[in-house]
Amino acid sequence: MIEYYVVAASTYAKDIDFLFDLIFWLVGLWFMATSGLFFWLIIRFRKREGVPAQYISGEKKDEKRWIHLPHYLVLVCDVFIIYFAVVVWYDVKQDLPPADQTVRVIGQQWAWTFEHPGPDGKLDTADDIVKVNELHIQKDTLYHYKLEARDVLHNFSVPVFRLKQDAIPGRVITGWFEATMAGEWDIQCAEICGIGHGLMGARIHIETADQHAAWMAAESPLSLAAYAPAQK
Amino acid sequence: MAAAALLALAAALPPGPARADELERGEALFDLCSQCHGSQGQGSKLALAPAIAGLKQWYAERQLHNFKSGIRGKNPDDVAGLRMHPMSLSLKDDADITAVAAYVASLSASQPASTLEGGDAAKGAALYAVCGACHGPDGNGIQQMNAPRLVHTNDWYLLSALEKYKAGVRGSNPKNANAIMMRGMAAQLADQQAMLDVIAHIETLARR
Repeated sequence: MIEYYVVAASTYAKDIDFLFDLIFWLVGLWFMATSGLFFWLIIRFRKREGVPAQYISGEKKDEKRWIHLPHYLVLVCDVFIIYFAVVVWYDVKQDLPPADQTVRVIGQQWAWTFEHPGPDGKLDTADDIVKVNELHIQKDTLYHYKLEARDVLHNFSVPVFRLKQDAIPGRVITGWFEATMAGEWDIQCAEICGIGHGLMGARIHIETADQHAAWMAAESPLSLAAYAPAQK
Repeated sequence: MAAAALLALAAALPPGPARADELERGEALFDLCSQCHGSQGQGSKLALAPAIAGLKQWYAERQLHNFKSGIRGKNPDDVAGLRMHPMSLSLKDDADITAVAAYVASLSASQPASTLEGGDAAKGAALYAVCGACHGPDGNGIQQMNAPRLVHTNDWYLLSALEKYKAGVRGSNPKNANAIMMRGMAAQLADQQAMLDVIAHIETLARR
């Protein structure tokens, strides 16, 4: 349902959407049922001439079941929600599949810095590509991200991935994602981080293998260094 | 053709006096700026925001355009610049930029308190001869040279700016010719002591 409004562009986006849908329909069902019952009771037992109001203590067995039965049914719904939530939580947050590539994501007031591996595929080498507010990744490639914060709490949020992860100063948090479609979408900070929080946006560029290789060739510092003498 | 030439000439002319409605709009927009730069534009070291009160309108406008377009403030090592880039995005069009720059220019400038020690103003005077060619002998800036004022600017900000230029944190974007020029100028200052010396001299200019 959510994908009608925000595309699902990661391998786990649909699992998270399923959880949202499950919670929406179960909670929605109970909301409709309780609202219906509430209004039915209001109309059925409305004020009438000659009928005195009664005080109900709720201690009789047939009165208690109005509480007990819905309570047990809600608990059954909770079990469903918890089961699927734990499965999704494990897959997205606790399991760390082997990475094809790793990027470093640094949040600071009020910008995102992305350190991409260059053509050698490794971080912290001379060909790394550092970009502010631009994350370039390759479709169908599993990425680990190393998330850091330089000043205060931030939150790395990529809505099309259904990904949100706090960035905490002093910690390096590792997570993963794998994009399933090419395109360009928003990245945002989802943790109040100061006066510029609302403007701390960036863009994610999901590219095909050819597009990504071309981007790396154009942006790698080593490529630029090789290109520079020719300009003289 | 003649109309185009007139328009180009009009664009090249310095901006005229700010209108009252422009200042009113600028004051409203400045509310966001004041969160870091202070209600009177006096600056705050804690927020890495320099004093901007009385900054010339042409310079404030240019820097806001530079921040907004990403020519300035998008280097990962420029912490203060990375804060200003998103702030500039809150100004929706050129009219907003002009209005807030006009308001900043209308604020009364004063010399911020010194925070640095160890600078030798006499040695700095000799080093300043190069700076003065563009920024003026009195440090008030020369628009024709695209050089802003240096007086009425926080000493910590001047040091930070010189260090950034020297390290290439500022002045490495090929679209920002003025900053590239400043990078070359900062490279002529041998070390931090030379920077402190020239800043000490600039502070004496403000007291004259």
